[in-house]
Amino acid sequence: MEEKSMRITVQRTGGFTAIPITKTVDVTAMPTNEATQLRQMVEAADFFDLPAEIPSTSQPDRFVYQISVEQEGKRHSVTVGETAMGPDMKSLVDLLMKSGH
Amino acid sequence: MKTRQKKSIRAKNYANKSSHVCPICCIIPPHMMDHIIMHGNDKMRAYALQTLRSSEQFRGKREVMGNVSFAVSPGQKRRTVYDAAEGETLPGALIRAEDGPPSRDIAVNEAYDGAGATYDLFHDVFERNSIDDQGLRLDSTVHYGTRYDNAFWNGNQMVYGDGDGQLFNRFTIAIDVIGHELTHGVTQYEAGLIYKGESGALNESFSDVFGSLVKQRSLNQSVNQADWLIGAGLLAPGVNGAALRSLKEPGTAYDDPMLGKDPQPAFYKDLYRGSQDNGGVHINSSIPNHAFYLAAMEIGGFAWEKTGKIWYIALRDTLRSRANFRRAASATINIAGELYGQSSEEQLAVRNAWKTVGVI
Repeated sequence: MEEKSMRITVQRTGGFTAIPITKTVDVTAMPTNEATQLRQMVEAADFFDLPAEIPSTSQPDRFVYQISVEQEGKRHSVTVGETAMGPDMKSLVDLLMKSGH
Repeated sequence: MKTRQKKSIRAKNYANKSSHVCPICCIIPPHMMDHIIMHGNDKMRAYALQTLRSSEQFRGKREVMGNVSFAVSPGQKRRTVYDAAEGETLPGALIRAEDGPPSRDIAVNEAYDGAGATYDLFHDVFERNSIDDQGLRLDSTVHYGTRYDNAFWNGNQMVYGDGDGQLFNRFTIAIDVIGHELTHGVTQYEAGLIYKGESGALNESFSDVFGSLVKQRSLNQSVNQADWLIGAGLLAPGVNGAALRSLKEPGTAYDDPMLGKDPQPAFYKDLYRGSQDNGGVHINSSIPNHAFYLAAMEIGGFAWEKTGKIWYIALRDTLRSRANFRRAASATINIAGELYGQSSEEQLAVRNAWKTVGVI
């Protein structure tokens, strides 16, 4: 089965340390399980229709994540604070932080 | 912030993986959630309602708890330390309460002792009864999340991660980190500095300043003996750096292939103007931090006695939520004049400090 090319980048900023960390995954080159999981998460989220910035309650020293998805020449970025992330968004970010380079 | 209810939502989602429940829509802001409830399909609506309910429950709890003040005798120190056991449910299991025996867990004892040293600085030196000046119990949770590289104040309590072990050690290891987090609570009850741009950098700076003072006082160090570092001991072995931030020499705390270089400027002309980190709240905090350091060095002695008092009164009585660096400068200069006399050495020291960093 031919899959569309997809790259996801997550940048974590803020936090007490305030040291930015960027991880990128090339979904096309990932093991099938994880790739499928990521594609499902992105698709089900209507990621390309999410607002560029998702407001969150501001708590000192919390992380902020910027997630960027590039797919077939399309590119969209969403910025979300740690406090506004539900469990599923968190799973997505955790997976990216773990698998990315 | 996860509640127990959200946990169950998560479990439910995994069970229904083949269904089309939006796995990400819990991040949607309330106004969009309203839209989903009105116009979405049944599954979306059920999901949105459940999410809304759990977050409103949480907000409701905070509002109710925030307005209840328990009668406490003045100056009573009350601490509790909880263990999240690598989960994210707060506060977790109670491990140690005031006057309870030490735990076998070093992080628990560090959180307990650090909260105590912070309470003591504010109480003994500034005559403040805890975070809210009404004897608020100091709650801390350790072992939050898995390999979590962070510590934060969530509006009610302190939360500490264990660090990933490769770059960062456990966050309770540095007593100034504990003082830093608790001071966010003090700022919340006093100046309420908005966590963005210059007011946010001031918010961060007050936390670093009083965090450092907690450490200096616990070690009985004069301005010349203090290391003026934030997070000494926090960087894991092998990382090239002494700490996360330096009040003495901003921009020199670390320089490492993995972490990059400490980006903090010492002077206002080098202010970071980008959008990252809420407009650089942890970057530009070094400018007021360095002003505090310079003033403290010129005034001399124990930094908490005079310089700390000037800064504390500015935080408590003068600064408002949108204050910028210039406001902080004029506030501290005026307070130094009121406390120690117009054109006193102390006032000159504070003015010189803000001039040197280029704020005035």
